[in-house]
Amino acid sequence: MGQMGFFTDTTLCIGCKACEVACKQWNELPADGYKLSGHSYDNTSHLSATTWRHVAFIEHPGDANNGNGKTTNWLMMSDVCKHCEHPGCMEACPTGALIRNEFGDVYLQPDICNGCNYCVPSCPFGVVGFNTDAGVASKCTLCYDRQKIGIEPACAKACPTDSITFGDLDELRARAKKRVSTLHERGEEAAYLYGVDEDTSVGDLNAFFLLMDRPSVYNLPEKPKLPQENIVPGFVAAFATAAFLTVATAFSLWNRRG
Amino acid sequence: MRSTSEKQSRGQSQSTTILTPDRGGYMTGRGERWPGNARNYYNVPLITKAHWSWEIVLYFFLGGLAGGSFLVSSLASLFGFKKSESIIRVGRYIAFGSVLISPVLLIKDLGRPERFYNMLRVFKLRSVMSIGTWALSSFGLFCGLATAHQAAKDGLLNWFPLMARLLKALPIKVIEGIGSLCGIVVATYTGVLLAATAVPVWAKARKILGPLFFTSGLSTALAAISLILSLGHRQRNKEALDHLERAETIAATTELGLIAALVPTLGALGKPLFTGRDGALLFGGTVSSGLIAPLLLRLGWRLAGKSASREVTIVSSLLVLVGGLILRYVWIDAGRKSADDPQAVHLYNEIEWREKHRS
Repeated sequence: MGQMGFFTDTTLCIGCKACEVACKQWNELPADGYKLSGHSYDNTSHLSATTWRHVAFIEHPGDANNGNGKTTNWLMMSDVCKHCEHPGCMEACPTGALIRNEFGDVYLQPDICNGCNYCVPSCPFGVVGFNTDAGVASKCTLCYDRQKIGIEPACAKACPTDSITFGDLDELRARAKKRVSTLHERGEEAAYLYGVDEDTSVGDLNAFFLLMDRPSVYNLPEKPKLPQENIVPGFVAAFATAAFLTVATAFSLWNRRG
Repeated sequence: MRSTSEKQSRGQSQSTTILTPDRGGYMTGRGERWPGNARNYYNVPLITKAHWSWEIVLYFFLGGLAGGSFLVSSLASLFGFKKSESIIRVGRYIAFGSVLISPVLLIKDLGRPERFYNMLRVFKLRSVMSIGTWALSSFGLFCGLATAHQAAKDGLLNWFPLMARLLKALPIKVIEGIGSLCGIVVATYTGVLLAATAVPVWAKARKILGPLFFTSGLSTALAAISLILSLGHRQRNKEALDHLERAETIAATTELGLIAALVPTLGALGKPLFTGRDGALLFGGTVSSGLIAPLLLRLGWRLAGKSASREVTIVSSLLVLVGGLILRYVWIDAGRKSADDPQAVHLYNEIEWREKHRS
């Protein structure tokens, strides 16, 4: 079987949050409390240890006289773990709790993780969270358990407009590219894919998106960088300094007066 | 992709914010130019910060102190002057004490402390924490052996003569050599660990954090050894203290240089580190009182033609130690603020992308 993934087409999202609810139900994730963020209809704000799908709402004030009668242009996007080609979290994990499973998903084994927290700041997308109740890190499993018995993840199943689709990555990418050209033909010139044919060190995303505005508008990083690229320059500089100071200290301790 | 002029004008009038290929380009694919400053989503943090707290701050300090002390003690033993016995002894005991506390702090900080051993079942060069786990474990072994050897020589194990004789026969130069290399990794990896994350202020300082943490570790180690030696028999330790002072001056000057280099390296990303409470702590606690003040104090005494008095050594050593601890705290805290700032994350990604595409 090839790699499996999500294609989230934001042009079809109606902001119903059925994906958020289905995800919480299936994965038995606790509620996040009753807080109102004041950010449009988005009270979840961000992905976290207990929120593995998050619908973002962006309101673009439009021109009422533009002929289509709309005063606001809505952008809605259901965010999820990207299951990257080169995952910062998985590289950072010192226990081997984060692995790539047989479906190509980046999976966090909750029974191996010891809650060291290193994967949390190592994710360039801010996906992984720390679950203080369980004492372990936690993120989207791409419904590994459902995939095992051959059914699609809960969010894709629940999505009423098929904004979220699940399937074989090659097929999904082909479908997504076709969708982009269809949108371009209809005059929606802004449509593009985020996470396909990327030249970043994070690579392509197994959960990719069709977006209508810059990634930063949706709180996605533009050209994210794999944190582990900093290891070699970091150690080279550190060891060079250490070598210099070791020699300097040795000379200082030397008995020059005989 | 076909687009008539009619369709384009319609697309533009619909929303002034949506980018079209001729206005800045899509933020995907290969080799495109950066379309101006990134936007943000209600200023909600983009990346997530780690919940590391005082245990990690203290461990970063103790790790540097342990690695540094062991290195100083080994250098004194391998290349030192004749009466360096006191430096060797104190260095080993300080390193051992710190290395005993370190794993306790690290395990306490885990979400599931009882699973700490899962880190000892894997070795990954791409995970700095894994490198650190193994470096600390092997350092602990060599440091323990060297300290046991020291304890046997000091007569602390005379109640167990066979063991004492065995420990005295250890190949101490080999243990010191390998242990020092492990100690250098222990003192440096903590900085590289922070740099290998998505947190802008840490990641941008990747070429400085490792060197800075090592240098601070070394200067706190030299200060700690000086402190203990000046508490002891001062006349007997005078020569050792003079030697240590020379090394301290070099380490402190290097550290000042590295901190100064942070300003141009970090640029706008250095805001959480250089401003507010963290900025005040860094410049007041580490730079002024932890580095410049001890340097000036000693320089003053030197200019007066005397070697520093006991009080001066004690005060300046304590200042250096406190400054080293503050340095670790400031870095951890600035990381939290930097992670919470989505604009900093976008700026970091933009800088890195531009750097990569220039070369």
